[in-house]
Amino acid sequence: MMTKQFSAEFFPELLAGMLVNFEIAVIALVIGLALGALLALMRLGGGILGALATSLIGLMRAAPTFVVMFFLLNIIPRDATLFGVGVAPSGIMTVALSLVPYSASYVADNGAEALKQLRAGSPLGALQFLPNVTRAFFVLVMSSSAGAAIGVTEGIAVILREAVLLPSLGDKLVLFAIGILFFGITLQAGFALMRLLQRYLGRRAVRDEPAI
Amino acid sequence: MTLLWRILLSVLMGALATAVVTFPVVAAAETPDTALAKLIEDARAEALAPGACAQPNLDRLVRIFCENRIRPGVREYYPLFGTREGETRSGYDVDVARALAKHLGVEPAFVRVNAATRIPLLAGDRIDVIVATMGHNTQRDSQVRFIRPHYYQSETIIVGPRALAVKDWPDIAGRTVCVTIGNGSNAQIVSHNARLMLFDEAGVLPGQLKDETCTLAAQDDSFFDYYFIEPAFAARFDKKFGFAQVPWGMAVARAASSERLARALDLMSQIFHRDGVFLEIARANRVGTGFLEHQQAVWKRPQCNTDTGSTNPACVLSALNADLQPTPFVARVVAFEKWFKAWTGVELSLPMLKTMPAWSLFKDGIVNSLILVAGALAATLLFALVLGAVQSSRMILLRWPARAMTITLQSSPVVLTLVIAAAVAHALFPYSSAVAIGAAIVALGLMNGSNAGQAIAEAMHTLRAERGSAQKTGGIPTRELFGRAVSRSATQIVSFLINAAKGTPIASFIGAPELLSALTDITSFASGRATTYSLLLVFYVVVVAIVVWLCGKLRSRLEHRQATA
Repeated sequence: MMTKQFSAEFFPELLAGMLVNFEIAVIALVIGLALGALLALMRLGGGILGALATSLIGLMRAAPTFVVMFFLLNIIPRDATLFGVGVAPSGIMTVALSLVPYSASYVADNGAEALKQLRAGSPLGALQFLPNVTRAFFVLVMSSSAGAAIGVTEGIAVILREAVLLPSLGDKLVLFAIGILFFGITLQAGFALMRLLQRYLGRRAVRDEPAI
Repeated sequence: MTLLWRILLSVLMGALATAVVTFPVVAAAETPDTALAKLIEDARAEALAPGACAQPNLDRLVRIFCENRIRPGVREYYPLFGTREGETRSGYDVDVARALAKHLGVEPAFVRVNAATRIPLLAGDRIDVIVATMGHNTQRDSQVRFIRPHYYQSETIIVGPRALAVKDWPDIAGRTVCVTIGNGSNAQIVSHNARLMLFDEAGVLPGQLKDETCTLAAQDDSFFDYYFIEPAFAARFDKKFGFAQVPWGMAVARAASSERLARALDLMSQIFHRDGVFLEIARANRVGTGFLEHQQAVWKRPQCNTDTGSTNPACVLSALNADLQPTPFVARVVAFEKWFKAWTGVELSLPMLKTMPAWSLFKDGIVNSLILVAGALAATLLFALVLGAVQSSRMILLRWPARAMTITLQSSPVVLTLVIAAAVAHALFPYSSAVAIGAAIVALGLMNGSNAGQAIAEAMHTLRAERGSAQKTGGIPTRELFGRAVSRSATQIVSFLINAAKGTPIASFIGAPELLSALTDITSFASGRATTYSLLLVFYVVVVAIVVWLCGKLRSRLEHRQATA
């Protein structure tokens, strides 16, 4: 009954938009894993490089994603080229890059901890890195909604442009509830996956523990 | 009788004297046609004189006759006004330039210009006249000599979906409007509490409207005229309202050698208006004719249809006043920019310190950002304690709604939560900056506070499990146990407080006029985007770093309290 008020294309577009959220999160996580791993290794190495890595991680932790996104959007000219190749990032890439400081600093923190566990002879402790990365991935999916502010057609942008055409607050709240449901199911499924992974690793840790 | 004769004689003499004095003035008021014909005839004669065309610093009108061509600078990608397909040029501006050339009896040699290149090309003597959709404002008056009367007039219009109920400025507040950077009307949109989404080129705006990236777009009506010819576009979108009318002027170089050319074009423009030449060209190119019809009536008036009509304030339009009031310290800012460039080689631009509107936006942005950060921290702490206490309750009717609320808030992306808070706030209160800031504080507080509250509830649960319930042991009152739970979850509380501070710039999305929003507004009508956004990043990193430091202190105190408990 309620969905009669929404345009016919709304649900397919919402799903397509949510795929964009996932795409952004994957890009941000892949770049974050590479950069974060490098920073974690540098930090564990100590010395000047370690101090530099610690400072960089601190800076990245303090940088608000939304501000980084507008910074990237405005500082890179639309016609920027490198060796004749256009290097101006697309909207999706701009959002993904703005999430890299978060993902890289998160990976660096958790990666350093995992490496410590590994060096201490606890490979299962080190494997706790995996559920933590899964958690970061779903945080990135939710945070990628910031792209709506720069015209990226992700899930929230689809919901907001539908909301603009709805006359009453009641209709809008129904639409927003649908949005929360779609994103909520995704997030809770992600967290359930993370918990399963943690339980599996925990069981393995108990099973592999030598009997005293 | 003698006296009467004397009076009559005096009156007659006076009337005669007045007639003698007045007559030469009336006789000197030529028609623009006569004045133009004489000007052209003189210039042609000069061009024919032996060796005249080889002289340095040649008068530009004479040079046009020497070369038998005029070089109009026209646009190539501005639908209905200046377009090019292969070697075929068309559009209102192009046809106006052709009409000028025809009237002078020379050939047009078109040169491509755009908004950024038209004035430099004129100053560099690469073109003779700009006929390229150029609005006449007071800033440009110092760069080029505008031709009067103006040959067209546009206004900025707001375009959006037909179903959207937007009729005037009050309907714009809190909405996002897509605009092009540098558009003179952006400051006016900002002053009505709209948010701006910036684009480099006007050409992308119709596409952004079609794919619904933009709900509203603002641009010249002349630009949208073309798109409204498309039935599909016109069926989906309409003009909501217009503002900021600006007359368009042809222009020549601001040099003594261009003065006769300018004068000839002034006179031609008068004649073209009076005789309906501009009007015919406009109709042929299907551009709006309202302004031209009005101008035709003006230039048919006897007091305007003279060779001095183009300088008569009663006949010509004023330039749009686009000058922004400078700050009292603008000279020092400019000196600092120069010194910085000389010292580092880096071009620094600080537009937020140069004009009063920008300075005002900048100051308010900083204050509002700090209010937002402080408010978000306080709200996060408050909601954490309240939701933590409720979720720790033994009463299921209290505990479960709080848990459901926490799960809902965790499941909603931050932008959506902010939009919901703003929608509810605007349903309760009329739109204002304070309401937007308040809604953002509540949303950020709820999002982060619910997570921190969950951590407190979990700590409470573990404490109860460890020590037994207060009823059973009779040892620890609930209030003290709650205090210990807060101390135990200090790390989580602190991390969500930092998260709340980091999230405050997102408040700009719902129209809270914090620093990001203020600087976006400033860069929409001023230059220096790179510096501006770099400063913004530094500001927020410093603010978050201070919050991290303060939260570190708070965590130490809470952990110390837990250790001593």
